[in-house]
Amino acid sequence: MTFDWSVVADHRAALVAATGTTILLTIATMAIAVPCGIVVAAVRLYAWPPLRAIAAAYVELFRNLPLILVVYWAFYVLPIATGLGLSPFATGLAALALNVTAYNAETFRAGLGSIRRGQLEAAMALGMSRRQALRRVILPQAVRRILPVLASTWVSLFKDTSLVSVIAVGELAYVAMQIRAQTFRVLEMLTAMAVIYWLLGYPQAKLVDWIQRRYAVTE
Amino acid sequence: MSSERAAAAAAKILRYRGVTKRYGDFAALNGVDLDVHAGEVVCLIGPSGSGKSTLLRCTNALEAIDGGEIEFEGSALPREEAALRAVRRRMGMVFQSFELFPHLTALENVAEGPRTVLRAVREEAQRRAHAMLAKVGLSDKSASYPSALSGGQQQRVAIARALAMEPDVMLFDEPTSALDPETIGEVLSVMKALADEGMTMVVVTHEMSFARRVGDWVAVFDAGRIVEQGPPKQIFEAPTTERTRDFLSHLGWPA
Repeated sequence: MTFDWSVVADHRAALVAATGTTILLTIATMAIAVPCGIVVAAVRLYAWPPLRAIAAAYVELFRNLPLILVVYWAFYVLPIATGLGLSPFATGLAALALNVTAYNAETFRAGLGSIRRGQLEAAMALGMSRRQALRRVILPQAVRRILPVLASTWVSLFKDTSLVSVIAVGELAYVAMQIRAQTFRVLEMLTAMAVIYWLLGYPQAKLVDWIQRRYAVTE
Repeated sequence: MSSERAAAAAAKILRYRGVTKRYGDFAALNGVDLDVHAGEVVCLIGPSGSGKSTLLRCTNALEAIDGGEIEFEGSALPREEAALRAVRRRMGMVFQSFELFPHLTALENVAEGPRTVLRAVREEAQRRAHAMLAKVGLSDKSASYPSALSGGQQQRVAIARALAMEPDVMLFDEPTSALDPETIGEVLSVMKALADEGMTMVVVTHEMSFARRVGDWVAVFDAGRIVEQGPPKQIFEAPTTERTRDFLSHLGWPA
């Protein structure tokens, strides 16, 4: 069996652009899923009970469905449900954000719940509202505590963006598979994909480890 | 009732009347009557679980009472959240477990109330925080995080944090119970200095010598009631109830 690595070099422009899309998709998903996760977690912990139940149902639904199913669902159902003709990128982003928000909500719920009650009481004794106490006292501590979990979610998400290739979003997996189909250089393209994902994923994981050490709070 | 106490009766900061609080079947407070006058140090003593901390936590409505009435500066504690926050601003609270904010430095801890609650500008909040840290003798620790401070230092920062709101009354919930014996003294001397300045204080404590030396009025709790109250001289030298005598002798008092 012979290898022809020139196929990777020949398509480097397409691969670089597709890698950019993968990174953009990851960042955009987290940019939505972190604040939404905080809101869902706060609703589940502190809101009016019927709202809590809705938030819980959302989390349990999306946390227990295969992501690829959610991606297909978003592709076929979202246009009908919303009447919007969403681009594949926007559709993929919506599916990823729905899924990761559910995970982040659980992470934040655990983090917020781990801050002992006395901290809330100390904030309220100063005259803070619950909202101020959450924002100024509880959340900053919870975020530091759950940073390692958010980090591994981030790295998982970076790889899971490949699942939206099934609805033709031009990210790294989709573009690499397209090149493979055109050139029949299967092993070369799969290897190139693996190298790109790993080279990008590893430093991200290390960076987040460093952030965690840097901002760790000791009591 | 002592004559000085009667003379101060015009200015009641806190007034408790028939206060009750239940947790399920357990009556934590079972009809408590107590007055706290301006400038007074009132010490609440008694065995664990007798209701003294519960009364303190009801005073700034961290716990809601089930019956009776608590008046602060002449009006009953409000039920509505925003009005309650306005009342809490005027009461400083110090907790047994300090509850400093671990992600903030000592200075930031003290500036947090003025900054977030009083909406002071940063410079003003920091100026006030520096002054309060100086007052508790911790100017050199302003940049330290709570984890780098001893228990006694943490509790002094917590006192500074409460004082930064310029409260009308300070509530102390067993402020020295979590401390190493060698750091208890530094916290008690800060509290004594505060009392000498005329701060109104309600102190839940197991430090009998503090209650005796600094307290103007002592209330002895048992099973959710005040079994005896009076000036420290009466409570510690001539207690009138069997329950007070039992409690004090249990602590080895008088030594």
